[in-house]
Amino acid sequence: MIAKYAGIAPKGDLIVLLKLAEKLHKRSFLHVNSTREGGGVAEILQRMIPILQSLGVDARWEVIEGDPTFYEITKKIHNALQGNPETITREMWEHHFEVNKANAERINLGADAVLIHDPQPGPLVEFRTGGTWIWRCHIDISNPSKQVSKALGRYADKYDGMIFSVAKFAQALPIDKFIIPPSIDPLSEKNRELTGEEINEAVERLNIPGDRPIILQVSRFDRFKDPVGVIRAYRMVKKYNDCVLVLAGSPATDDPEGAAVLEEVKEFAAGDKDVHILLLPPFSDRDINALQRVADVVLQKSLKEGFGLTVAEAMWKGKPVIGGFVGGIPLQIVHGVNGFLVNSVEGTAFRIRQLLNHRELAARMGQKAREYVRTNFLITRQVRDYLAVWYALENKGKSVFVL
Amino acid sequence: MTSAATPFEFKQCVTILKSTGKKAKDLRKLSDLISSVSDESIFHHTYQYFLKEHVLEYTNDFAHWVGESLEERSLAEQLSNVDPYGFGTIGDLRDELRNVIMAYLEGSPEPREARPGDEFYFNETATLVFPVGIWARNLAEFLMAIKLIETGSIYYHFYEARVRVEDKADDFSKWIAETLGEKELAMHIRSIDPFMHNVEEIQKHIADAVEEWVKRDMERMVQVL
Repeated sequence: MIAKYAGIAPKGDLIVLLKLAEKLHKRSFLHVNSTREGGGVAEILQRMIPILQSLGVDARWEVIEGDPTFYEITKKIHNALQGNPETITREMWEHHFEVNKANAERINLGADAVLIHDPQPGPLVEFRTGGTWIWRCHIDISNPSKQVSKALGRYADKYDGMIFSVAKFAQALPIDKFIIPPSIDPLSEKNRELTGEEINEAVERLNIPGDRPIILQVSRFDRFKDPVGVIRAYRMVKKYNDCVLVLAGSPATDDPEGAAVLEEVKEFAAGDKDVHILLLPPFSDRDINALQRVADVVLQKSLKEGFGLTVAEAMWKGKPVIGGFVGGIPLQIVHGVNGFLVNSVEGTAFRIRQLLNHRELAARMGQKAREYVRTNFLITRQVRDYLAVWYALENKGKSVFVL
Repeated sequence: MTSAATPFEFKQCVTILKSTGKKAKDLRKLSDLISSVSDESIFHHTYQYFLKEHVLEYTNDFAHWVGESLEERSLAEQLSNVDPYGFGTIGDLRDELRNVIMAYLEGSPEPREARPGDEFYFNETATLVFPVGIWARNLAEFLMAIKLIETGSIYYHFYEARVRVEDKADDFSKWIAETLGEKELAMHIRSIDPFMHNVEEIQKHIADAVEEWVKRDMERMVQVL
């Protein structure tokens, strides 16, 4: 399977990946998260587990189960970690723990390495039986609620290591803290090359007009992604450049607020037939791929962001992306080189107009964007990093490893 | 063409970033932490700067942050002028960085703090070193290889070697001089200024120099015939 990435991923990544896989051959690697579909974490796990297995690592993926109350609590925890004021009572923390306890009884947690994704399954560490335990935080916790941070800190101390997407998310904890950006799979249905026919079929079926420039944002319907701000920016652009706005997203089972935000967005856009709000079913990967390829300008105007994988996805398709100056977006967009970073609705509108009016600049930035993703944000690099962290934690005290 | 008894084995390194959990919001805190963070962290923010994609404006992360986030251009220039390869130990480099910052603070109004979220984050790395499966026995093979290898390999042999190899030379020139006996070419490669180029440019400069040398060597052989 790894051979399929030859000629796409950097050669060095593939070599080191094979060397690490030799060292960790037939050893077990368990991943646990809170949703099988929807959102970046589930998406990367769907692709990563088969790659790990094909490398001879005994990789497994488990998903915790919870009642609606659990997901309401974890959404509050998520929001609080991103800096929103939330009240989480002692009863809520107890419920959070109890749901994890029930999952610990159901899931086989025995493995040589266990990677726990995000705060929802964080308390599972209380039930560790052995192996190296690593907590992977995908969200922006650069300015977390102190109360929530402290409550989760008691679990963090029990892990062997933590992984953050961006250095500034890392907290001062007395354990090894690794910085690993997430990645995209260039061979997945969402990112593979599409034929002209495939693109046209999708665009026609989704009723997206092809006679004017298309501005696109792909994201969950979440206030932190600022879909309303995107519509406001589009309205400013529309005064100067006739264009179409597409807001496309899939529902996530662990996000109870999604439906409410979608209604708000629909209401705000009401009456404009050039604003296309698409609630795509899970696994609409080819449609998203087609939309990103047909778009003229791609936005990720987030107000808070863990990393914002949709940025790398669009960049891989040679598109210049206009992204909010938050979370992991500045790690992907080098301002003025392969895209633009913005801090306001007005800034977003200005950069959209700039790209619509300077097509050569847009094409040049798009080409640079693709190469930047090839070097830094492909899945092979992330698998390499996860295996390296596991290997490093098993060989503590060294900073250089000769393979 | 001379063939070496000991072929040159190309290696590469990749780094996994680690956070120390420490951050500085102003110059005094930056200076304090430069004194106390691990050697690995100082190494990362200075020597490993060349491993990252960058434009030729600064030569280490400290200068970059001071210039871009604090907008203290003069100090950024002074910090960029600190040559990490000019010091025998990380401790000496650490002292010099601190001295430059403290001297600047004594002669300037108190600089502003960085905006929240834009502080200097002290990191370090875990480095994985591995052979890439390419050997060169003579300059022609070396030329083919140097064009083929990735930037991580150039970094390992051209930059990182200077702290690994006793006489602070890069691996390429050392092998060309000591194993192939081509001292003039070795000196040419050694004279490429590591500060004034990014890794891709270094790769091109070395390839150009070796290509020219191989061409001259071949022309000499034709004339002898």
